[in-house]
Amino acid sequence: MAPLTTASRAVARSSALRLATSTSSNAVATRAAISTSSALRDSSSASYSSPFKGESNSNKIPDFSKYMAKGSGGGNQLFGYFMVGTLGAISAAGAKSTIQEFLKNMSASADVLAMAKVEVDLAAIPEGKNVIVKWRGKPVFIRHRTAEEIDEANKVNVASLRDPENDADRVKKPEWLVMLGVCTHLGCVPIGEAGDYGGWFCPCHGSHYDISGRIRKGPAPLNLEVPAYDFPEDDKLIIG
Amino acid sequence: MNIANSGLYNTLFRKNYTFLGLVFAGAFGFEMFYDTRMNKLWDSINRGRQWKDIRHKYAEEE
Repeated sequence: MAPLTTASRAVARSSALRLATSTSSNAVATRAAISTSSALRDSSSASYSSPFKGESNSNKIPDFSKYMAKGSGGGNQLFGYFMVGTLGAISAAGAKSTIQEFLKNMSASADVLAMAKVEVDLAAIPEGKNVIVKWRGKPVFIRHRTAEEIDEANKVNVASLRDPENDADRVKKPEWLVMLGVCTHLGCVPIGEAGDYGGWFCPCHGSHYDISGRIRKGPAPLNLEVPAYDFPEDDKLIIG
Repeated sequence: MNIANSGLYNTLFRKNYTFLGLVFAGAFGFEMFYDTRMNKLWDSINRGRQWKDIRHKYAEEE
């Protein structure tokens, strides 16, 4: 233990000595630096000249009266508010217009909307006949049903059906049956006035639909779909 | 003009909600004015080329 403590003490002593000598030399250098800088400052202050020519006293406030408002300044304030308000109004109009045009851009255009509707003249369809029209790329069946067919459609026990639906819920006028001619099984087009139930028959996989377009037999899970349609006049049908 | 007795300032600009209301009302009015003027300008530049200008030549009145 003893050799270690003496060694450490010797190291400490020598480092302290080195520190002392270095600080003393540093002090001398610092003193020299201070003296040189003070000498410099003394020499420069003698030849100092202000860069602001013609202004002898910098504490003097310049005369701004040329730029000041002639009256109370209220007119300027009013003008300022007016300009802020005008810019705000134009920005608001622009922002509203931008948003509105973007939203308008997303909606369907007039030609698309015109193509999305089909008009059918019902006076040309005799009773007991089918008509197929194309609507949005799909066939639509329109049948002018006879009174017996309406009775037949209403006589069916709805609870026994695979997709229970009353005939009255599927038509707006009982004599006009309007529905999409796409089999709900795999999308074939059923054949009219065919099948076991006097309605439609799908030749692809043998689905039988009755005179109200309801599935009665075969693989299809649902009744034939009814599109949105309307009768604006007595002899006119608009699908879509 | 003294700002204290200026009617425009006191009635419209002093309260923020009246100022904002004025701005929005101004935006509404400005938009109507600007839209109609720009549509008129467009129609005058494209006179004779739009459907509404040549419709009478093609459309048969029912």
